Amino acid sequence: MTLLNVAGLVAGYSAADEILKGVDFAIEPGEIVGIIGPNGAGKSTLLKAIAGLLKPSRGSITLNDRPIAGHAPREISRMGVAYVPQENNIFPTMSVRENLEMGGYVDPAGTRGRIELAFGRFPVLAEKRRRAARTLSGGERQMLAMAMALMVEPEVLLLDEPSAGLSPVAAERLFESVIAINRDGVTIGMVEQNAREALSIAARAYILVDGRNHRTGRAADLAADPDIRRIFLGG
Amino acid sequence: MPPILAEIAQLVVNGIMTGTILAVPAIGLTSIHAVLRFPNFAVASHATVGAFAGYVANVKLGLPVLPSVVLAFLVAGAVGVAADELVLKPFRAAGFITTAIASIALTIALENLVRFGFGNELRGYDLPIMRDWRLGGIRVGPQQLQNLAIAVAAMAALFAFLAFTRTGKAMRAVADNPMLASIKGINADVVARLVSFVGMGLAGLGGMLIGLDTTIDPLTGFRAILSVFAAAVVGGLGSIPGAVVGALTVGVGEELCLLFLSPDYRSAVGFTAILLVLTLRPRGILGQRAY
Repeated sequence: MTLLNVAGLVAGYSAADEILKGVDFAIEPGEIVGIIGPNGAGKSTLLKAIAGLLKPSRGSITLNDRPIAGHAPREISRMGVAYVPQENNIFPTMSVRENLEMGGYVDPAGTRGRIELAFGRFPVLAEKRRRAARTLSGGERQMLAMAMALMVEPEVLLLDEPSAGLSPVAAERLFESVIAINRDGVTIGMVEQNAREALSIAARAYILVDGRNHRTGRAADLAADPDIRRIFLGG
Repeated sequence: MPPILAEIAQLVVNGIMTGTILAVPAIGLTSIHAVLRFPNFAVASHATVGAFAGYVANVKLGLPVLPSVVLAFLVAGAVGVAADELVLKPFRAAGFITTAIASIALTIALENLVRFGFGNELRGYDLPIMRDWRLGGIRVGPQQLQNLAIAVAAMAALFAFLAFTRTGKAMRAVADNPMLASIKGINADVVARLVSFVGMGLAGLGGMLIGLDTTIDPLTGFRAILSVFAAAVVGGLGSIPGAVVGALTVGVGEELCLLFLSPDYRSAVGFTAILLVLTLRPRGILGQRAY
C-alpha cells in the first residue's frame, strides 16, 4: 500500500497564483524519495500543501488511504506526517532540550525517552542540550529540526532543502544522518537543491518543472540519464 | 549620611518599589505582544478593572489583601479573555496597527463601564495604618514591602510557569515561532486565550498594587499606562526579563527626576525613555527575547 499519495494537486498562495498545476506524487513505506527541479518549480509548495500549511484548491492527498488535505497542520502532524521547513525550523530562544519537548508536543507520553533517543542519534545536541537553539551552527540547527520532527515517531518525514546554506562538510554529515534515520525505518520525502546528492541517497525521485511532473523514476536511472545530467546535475 | 546622598538613596529605594510594581502590568503587556504581536493598550483599563475587583473584595466583602489581590488577577484575566475574544480577535486579521487602535477604543469603553458602576471619586483600600520603618535614614512602609513581595511572588510564579510547565513552554514556543508551533501541534487559539488571561490578570494585579500604594479611581490604569508602555519598550517589547529591567529603569528614573523636576513632570521620564530607546536601541535593552 502506498504510504503517502498525492494526485492532481493544484495549490498556491492565492487563487490567482497557482504554483502546483496538477502534481502527482507518492511515497512507499521505508523509502527515501527525492524531489528536485529548478527554482520556482513548486517543490517546497508541494511539501507545504502536504503538511497543511497551504490549502489545495484541487486534487487529493492521502496518508494510508486516509484523506488529509484541508486539515490543520497540527492534525496532519498528529496523523503521522512530520514536516521540517527549510528555514525558521527551530524555536531560537528555547534550549535544545525544550525544542525537543515541543517537537513531541502532540504526544507527551514517552517524551523523556524519545529525547534520550534523539541525544543518542545526534550526540552534538546532547552536548548542547541546555544551550539556546539560536547559538547552534547551521548544520546543528538542521539536525535539531530533524530530531524535533522525529519526536512524534512519524510515519513519514518531509524535509525541505535540509542542506541549504550548509558547508559541504556539514551537508555531508546531514545526508549521513538522513540515511541513518531512514535505516531506522523512517520513510522520507526530501526536497533538495543539491540534486546530485539527493539522487545518490534516494530510492526514487520526482523532477518538477513549472508546477508539473517532468520526470519520475528510480533515482539511479534519473542520475544516469544524459538529459537530466545536463539540465539538473550540471553535466 | 550627607542629606543629598540620603535623599538619593531614598529616591532609589522608592524607584525600586515603584519599578517592581510597574513590572507586573509591563510583563502583561509584553507577554501579550510576544504572542499576539500587537501592543494591547487595554492593559490600562484591565489594571483599573483589577484595582476595582480588589476593592470590592477588600472593602465590600471584607477580605484581606492577599485574597483580594488573587481576585483582582482572576477578574481582570477573565475580562481580558472575554474582551479579546469578542472585541480584539476579529480585528487581528486587519493587522497590528488596527488591533492596537481597537485596544485603545476597548480601554476607553471598559474605563467608562467602571466609571458607570463606581463613579469618579477616589477610593482607598481597607488597610491598617502602620508606621514606616527606618533603615539607616531610609523610610520604607510595611505596605510597600508587602506590595513588593506580592509583585516579586507573581513574577516568580510566572517565570516558573514559563520555564517548567508544558503549557508555559508552549506559550514561549508560539511567541518564538508561531508557524512552527502550529506545525508541532500547539493550538495557537488556546495559547492566545491563555496569554490574554495571564497578561490581563497581571495588569489587574498591577492595578491593585498601584492602588494599595495610593488610591484608585477609573483613571488608575490610564495614568499608569505611559510608564507601563515605557517599561516594556525600554526592556524590549516582547521580552519578559526586559519588562522587569525596563520597569526598574523607568521606576528609578521617575523617582530620581524629582531631584530636578516638579512631580508634575514625572511622566516626562517615560516619554524620554521611549524616545531614547527608539533612537539609540530600537530593540530595547534586552532585545526581543521572549523569555
